[in-house]
Amino acid sequence: MQADMQAKIRIEDLTVRYSDGTESLRGITMELYANQINVLFGPAGGGKSTLLRTLNRLNDQADVVTQTGRVLLDGEDIMASGYDVIRLRRRVGIVFARPVPLPMTIYQNITYGLELAGVRDRQQLDTVVKRSLKQAALWDEVGNRLHEPAHALSGGQQQRLCLARSLALQPEVILLDEPTSGLDPISTGKVEQTLQDLKATYTIVIVPHSIQQAARVADWAAFFLQGELVECGPRDQIFTNPSDKRTDEYITGRFG
Amino acid sequence: MFNRQIAQRIAFILISLTALLVILPIFAILGYIVAKGIGAISWEFLTSMPRNGMKEGGLLPAIVGTLLLTLGTGMIAVPIGVGAAIYLAEYAGDNALTRAIRIAIINLAGIPSVVYGLFGLGLFVIFLRFGTSILAGSLTLGIMTLPVIISTAEEALRAVPQEFRLVSTSLGGTRWQTIRRVVLPQALPGIITGIILGLERAAGETAPILFTVAAFFLPRLPSSILDQTMALPYHLFVISTQVPGMPIRIQYGTALVLLVFVLSMNVLATLIRRHYRKQRVW
Repeated sequence: MQADMQAKIRIEDLTVRYSDGTESLRGITMELYANQINVLFGPAGGGKSTLLRTLNRLNDQADVVTQTGRVLLDGEDIMASGYDVIRLRRRVGIVFARPVPLPMTIYQNITYGLELAGVRDRQQLDTVVKRSLKQAALWDEVGNRLHEPAHALSGGQQQRLCLARSLALQPEVILLDEPTSGLDPISTGKVEQTLQDLKATYTIVIVPHSIQQAARVADWAAFFLQGELVECGPRDQIFTNPSDKRTDEYITGRFG
Repeated sequence: MFNRQIAQRIAFILISLTALLVILPIFAILGYIVAKGIGAISWEFLTSMPRNGMKEGGLLPAIVGTLLLTLGTGMIAVPIGVGAAIYLAEYAGDNALTRAIRIAIINLAGIPSVVYGLFGLGLFVIFLRFGTSILAGSLTLGIMTLPVIISTAEEALRAVPQEFRLVSTSLGGTRWQTIRRVVLPQALPGIITGIILGLERAAGETAPILFTVAAFFLPRLPSSILDQTMALPYHLFVISTQVPGMPIRIQYGTALVLLVFVLSMNVLATLIRRHYRKQRVW
């Protein structure tokens, strides 16, 4: 099983601490695989979101006190000094728990990242908008009103818009931080189906909003508890035959 | 039971009265000034030079002077003030330097305007040899206006949700791109409102221009920023206290013009704020 999986990201002995001590990670070593849905799950406060935000260095903005270890993207240490963070964020996109459309039109939301990168060609932008919205399964719903304000969309549509906005940059990795936590079951189903379609092209790393979702979407799963990686492995192993007692207790609902 | 209802009734009446007392002076002042000054208002009053020891003719040089000073104040205070606000809200951390800057801004706001005037006289008029000039007056008024603009602009910037910045950063935006494309456009209505309110105060001030720019009687328009000029607030002071035999309606006419100038800026600020608040999505 693991032999044919290609590690896209390798995390080596990563430790992250915030000044207020809320969320932290201790000595994380793991791999995240290309063309797989990699699931990071566990109770709240386990450091999953922190880990996601380490992968595109959004933690740089936050109140991080210490950050040691290495994170290798295609073998290159993204935490090395002088590493091009802007380029990293174009390669590693993120979708947050709460959909936050920028205060612009649907079209402008999608093209925002490209315009920051200096793309001005109208035809190219049009193409990207259509492609990204189709990938995020939103084109049929908004294709005829691209120039309306994005905040007028429903919550589920906004979240797919945020996904499309990340996809517009043609990233290699997509991080999703509880992307369906605010959505109804139908919208959640749409997003999950979209992820299944996207994994052929992308490396997907998701923090699910429930164990059920974790078990539904995972190809590869990692269980986090209080800042530590308890265990990780293929979905079937983690959810049917975990090797650690704590994983077993969590997935059978004894805590969390 | 009965007593409680009476107490409630009395409290309500008293509180309503205080609210009424707040709006009363505004209407009283407006009504009084309009009633006594409207007779002086004419096309000639607004567009001609003062004559006969200012007892006849118009306000043109004072109106133009106040417009120029307001413009000059804006040209100095807006870039510096908005720049400082962006620094404080978007770049600065919480350290000794920024704490010092904040304390400086608070103290700047508390300095009496006549002290600004004296400072402007010492620094701009005498030391920097700008003389009594529009330049010196604008600089003095500009410094006085800075705290208002900085604090309102910083507040407007901070009100923009943090999430917008995070999203922009995550899409490969640099800090400046994020500020320019997302944060500033969203904060702009608040910033503009603060600018107008700051300039409005500057336009009505007398003390800071007293030693730095204002001319007692100068019946011609300034031709350079190193010229002196008349200005409405100082002109009002002069014709009210320094010129014997001044017709009262000219005094109140001048006050009316100043009041309309300042109040229309206020109305403009309110309209801008209302217009953009309707469009805001957060």
